[in-house]
Amino acid sequence: MKRVQFEHSAVPYLFVAPQILIISIFFLWPAAQAVYQSFLLEDAFGMSSQFVWFRNFEDVLSSSSWTRSAVFTVVFSVLVAVISITLSLFLAVRADEVIRGAKSYRTMLMWGYAIAPPVAGLLGNMMFNPLMGDLYKAFNSFGFEFNHIQNANDATFVVILIAVWKQVSVNFIFFLSGLQGIPKSVQEAATLDCKSAERRFWTITFPLLAPTTFFLLVINLTYAFFETFGIIDVSTKGSPGGATATLVYKVYVDGFIGADLGGSSAQSVLLMIMVSVLTVFQFRFIERKVHY
Amino acid sequence: MATVTLKQAEKTYPNGYKAIHGIDLAIQDGEFTVLVGPSGCGKSTLLRMIAGLESISDGEISIDDKVVNKVAPADRDIAMVFQNYALYPHMNNYDNMAYGLRNRGYSKADIDSKVREAARILQLEDHLERKPRQLSGGQRQRVAMGRAIVRQPKVFLFDEPLSNLDAKLRVDMRLEIKNLQQRLGVTSVYVTHDQVEAMTLADRLIVMNGGVAEQIGTPIDIYEKPATKFVAGFIGSPAMNFLAGKISGDCKHVTIGEGVRLDLDHDVSADQTVTVGIRPEHLSIAADGQGQINAAVRMVESLGAETLVYLDFGTDANNVTLRLQGTQQFVKGEKLSLTIPADKIHLFDVETGKRI
Repeated sequence: MKRVQFEHSAVPYLFVAPQILIISIFFLWPAAQAVYQSFLLEDAFGMSSQFVWFRNFEDVLSSSSWTRSAVFTVVFSVLVAVISITLSLFLAVRADEVIRGAKSYRTMLMWGYAIAPPVAGLLGNMMFNPLMGDLYKAFNSFGFEFNHIQNANDATFVVILIAVWKQVSVNFIFFLSGLQGIPKSVQEAATLDCKSAERRFWTITFPLLAPTTFFLLVINLTYAFFETFGIIDVSTKGSPGGATATLVYKVYVDGFIGADLGGSSAQSVLLMIMVSVLTVFQFRFIERKVHY
Repeated sequence: MATVTLKQAEKTYPNGYKAIHGIDLAIQDGEFTVLVGPSGCGKSTLLRMIAGLESISDGEISIDDKVVNKVAPADRDIAMVFQNYALYPHMNNYDNMAYGLRNRGYSKADIDSKVREAARILQLEDHLERKPRQLSGGQRQRVAMGRAIVRQPKVFLFDEPLSNLDAKLRVDMRLEIKNLQQRLGVTSVYVTHDQVEAMTLADRLIVMNGGVAEQIGTPIDIYEKPATKFVAGFIGSPAMNFLAGKISGDCKHVTIGEGVRLDLDHDVSADQTVTVGIRPEHLSIAADGQGQINAAVRMVESLGAETLVYLDFGTDANNVTLRLQGTQQFVKGEKLSLTIPADKIHLFDVETGKRI
C-alpha cells in the first residue's frame, strides 16, 4: 500500500498538537510535578521545602491509615465491579427477552447513566439521612441497627450501594448491545442442541459475551478506583474515621485538606504504580482467555 | 427414520399477519422434500415451525405420529442447517459437533467416535481443532452439516444452506447433500429459492406462494404439469412464455393475438379467454418459414450449450423466449417463424390462474 505523504511535514504535527498540548498540560506535567514533589518535604504554606529522598514513601507505607485505605480500595473496587457487572448482566439478559414495551423498559434502565457521580452521592446521602432518609428508616425498622455514620461496615455498604447503582446502567447498555450482537441463528442452533436455557446461557451466551465482560471489568475497576471520588466526597466524606476513603480520596484529603503535599504526592505516585500493574495484569492474564 | 405430517398448519403473527394459510403435507420416511418459492412466501416460516423455532398458531405438526406442537425444539429429535452456518464461534469444530451430544448425555468415547465418523464422511478430519472462523465458507457449511449428522436425528431441516456459497461450490455441495441424504436415508426438509437446487434435490417438491402450497409433486410432474400459472412461471429457467388467448366457438382451437390458431386437444369451454403457456425449449424455428408466429429478434444470449433468443411479436409487443440447442447466430430485428406444438401448450384460467 502506498503511504500518503504530506508536502509540508509540519501539517501532521499541527493536527496532533492540540491533543499533545492537552496531555502535556493536564497529565504529563502534573504527573512529573507529583513525582518531584513526592521527594520533597514542604511546610504547609509552601514557604520552604527540603529534598528528603524516599522519606515520604517510607512514611506513607508505614502508616496504618494508608494500609487501611489501600485494603478498603481493593475490597470496594472488587465488590463494586463484581456486583454491578453481575447485576447488569442479569438485567440485560432479562431485558433482552422482553418483547412488549421493550423500549421503555430499556430506557428506564439506562437512565442512571445520565446522572453525575456527585449527584448520585447526594441522592444516596438523602436516602440514608438519619433524620429523613427512607432507606435509613427502612433498614432500622427491619431490626438492623443500621448506622453508617458510626459503623464502618454500614458506611462501606452505603458507598458500594451508590457506586453500584450509578454503574449498573453503563454496564447494562454494553451487555444489552453485546447480547444483541449474538447472531439469532446461533442462539436458535443452541436451542436445538441444548434444552436447558440455563446451560445454554453458560455454554453459549456467556462465552460470547466474554470480551464485553472483560472490557467492563477494566472500565468498572477504573471507575471504582477514580470516579467514585464524587460519590464518596458527597456521601460519607471517608467517614467514619477514614473507613470509606479510597486511595484517591485520601490523596485529596491529605494533600488539600491536610496540606501534606509531599506525602500526598507520594501516595499518588504509589497509586499510579498500582494502576499500571493492574492494567498490565488485566491485559496479560485475563484478556488471553476471553477471545474467540 | 421418521415421517412428518402437517395438518392444516397455520401461522399468524401477533400483528395479525398470516404467514401460513393452512398447509397439509405428509412427508414419507426417508423422503427428501424441498420447499421452494419466492421471498416472503412462507417457506422458511414453515420449516421453522417444524423445527419449533416458530410457534404453530393453528393445526398440527407431528413427527412419527407424535404431535409436536408443544414440544421443545431440542426434544423434537431434529437437526437444522442454517443459511449462515450458525456455528458457535468460541468453540472449535470438534466441540461444535459435540455440543449437542454432550447436552444429551452421551459418553465421551461415544461422542468421540461419532464426531470422528462425521468428520471422516465430510473430510473435516484435519480441521477439528480449528475454530470456525479459520475455515472457508464451504468448510464451515460442512461443519454445520456435521453438527446435524452426528446427532442421527429423525429429521434434517435445511434452511437455504447453500445460499452463502459461490456458484461452483454450491453445485458441489448440492451433490454432496443429495449423496449424504441418500446414504443416511434421513427424512429431510429443504428450503430454497433456487429452482435448480429444488429440481435436482427433491424427491418431492412443494411450490409455495403467499403462505399457500400451490403444488406438491415430483419435480418432473410439476415441470410437466404445473397446476397454476404461478408454478408454471416459477419453475423452469428461463420462465415459461405466457400469451393471451381465446378459445374458439367449437372448442377445437385457441387463438393468440391476431389470427394465430392452434389446434387443441384440451377439454375446454367455448369462447373462454385463457392464458397460453409454452416453455422456451418447446418452441422451434419452422424450417420452411410456415410457423404459427412470426416474431422479430430483440436480443440473443449465447450460453455455449444453448442459445436463448428473446423475440417480440404482434402489435402489442408480446415477448417470447426461445431456447435452442448449441450456438446459433441471429441478427437483431431478424424475423423468425416459430412453430408451437399443440401438445406442449399449457392453458390457464385468466381469473384464477388454475390449469385447465
